[in-house]
Amino acid sequence: MASISLKNVSVSFPIYGAGSVSLKKTLAASVTGGRFGKETGVTVVQALSGLNLELKSGDRLGLIGHNGAGKSTLLRTLAGVYEPSSGEFTRQGSVASLIDPALGIEMDATGIENIMLRGLVMGMSKKEVDRLTPDICEFSGLGEYVNMPVRTYSTGMMMRLAFSISTSVEADILLMDEWLSVGDAAFTEKAEKRMRDVVSKSGILVLASHSPELIAKECNRVIHLEHGRIVES
Amino acid sequence: MSQVHSNLHRSALADWWEGTRRTDIWWTLAWFDVVLRYRRSMLGPLWLTLSMGIMIGGMGPLYASLFGTQLDKFFPHLALGVIFWGFFSAIVTDACNAFVGASNYLKQGYFPISLFVWRGLGRNLIQFAHQIVLYIPVALWAGVSLSWSVLLVIPAFLILIVNAHALGLLLGLICTRYRDVTQIITSIMQMLMFLTPVFWLPENLPGRAKYVLWNPFAQMLDLLRTPLMGGVAHLESWIGIGLWTVLCLTAASVMFVKYRRRVVYWL
Repeated sequence: MASISLKNVSVSFPIYGAGSVSLKKTLAASVTGGRFGKETGVTVVQALSGLNLELKSGDRLGLIGHNGAGKSTLLRTLAGVYEPSSGEFTRQGSVASLIDPALGIEMDATGIENIMLRGLVMGMSKKEVDRLTPDICEFSGLGEYVNMPVRTYSTGMMMRLAFSISTSVEADILLMDEWLSVGDAAFTEKAEKRMRDVVSKSGILVLASHSPELIAKECNRVIHLEHGRIVES
Repeated sequence: MSQVHSNLHRSALADWWEGTRRTDIWWTLAWFDVVLRYRRSMLGPLWLTLSMGIMIGGMGPLYASLFGTQLDKFFPHLALGVIFWGFFSAIVTDACNAFVGASNYLKQGYFPISLFVWRGLGRNLIQFAHQIVLYIPVALWAGVSLSWSVLLVIPAFLILIVNAHALGLLLGLICTRYRDVTQIITSIMQMLMFLTPVFWLPENLPGRAKYVLWNPFAQMLDLLRTPLMGGVAHLESWIGIGLWTVLCLTAASVMFVKYRRRVVYWL
């Protein structure tokens, strides 16, 4: 059973300007009583504040809000990247994050090697990756290119590879930042079908989007974020 | 990845073990680090062996005559010194970048950070393996005779791994928060190379300067090098390294418990 529970969760980022990441300035500030390194004062950005949210299997949650409202931060918090600064966060079930599929693609490695690397990092064992590799190659439609270094790929081909890898696992919880659509017309159609498939198999979907139509179509719950708070749900 | 994820009641030990136990991930990442770096060169990782060989071969005769020692006494000392120093210094400088270099993974999902320290260590072990083989021809040429005490190199190496991992966690955390510590560490390592008997012989030190040998790198080097040359390391080195290991482990544990989940915020 998949479930997500957020109780009064806040996430705040310390923004270390060039000033305070530097040890020299921190030391200078402490030795000179702060007069010297005034710029060390750390700005804290409250990205999420006091969020309460309960999700269970079957929930399709849409996140809307303007740029910088905290949608991506919330997705990353749900993925486990950011540990909440305060509040309680519990999540049950396996997670697939489609937040930025192209992240972590090694340019000098071949397609096949990237499948292995990404697969392992996504939590699969070597055996599972080996089992899934033919399917992923087949789906990506890259043909012989899977044995070539990724740096020889076009942007579209690279996205196809990334998409094929990250959608190859089934997960209880699916996190998405905008609907993924990649490749040329023929591949987009295939990808669309795959996305439907993955979404329908997942227990919980959390989708951040700027498109009201998409949210209306895919989601049965919507929350509106503004300045890191839920203003409407 | 675990099925239940929560920010409450997470034990640091469980986090550490989670990263340590996934040998398949960090070993593969480490392997690719080495393979990809040399992919477009003809000799591949053999360059590691070759460039180290050239360095040792060039320095040996010169330094032997500078110090006025016999080459067959000096050459094994120098070869092991340079190879081990390369290993130490790569471990330390890589530790500073362990998390900064893994930001593309860390920003994507939950990863136990110990994984990336092991990855760096794995990478350096692979490189070290390519270089230590050079000692075999050197030892044969110089006619080094080994006794049973050579087995002491095994516990010494294990202590080295423990220290390397602890230092990796510690420096990785500090250098992610304060970016210029990396520069400080790099220059300290350069200085320490000359304060450690990498090239020179510790016997040549005049009495008052012996305190130089109290630096942990000199002691670690003594523990690893002396048995491989047929001798027995000093007892002080074992004691010193023992103390250093305790210190290092304590500091690393404190930092890890406190900041292991904060690192992502600093990236």
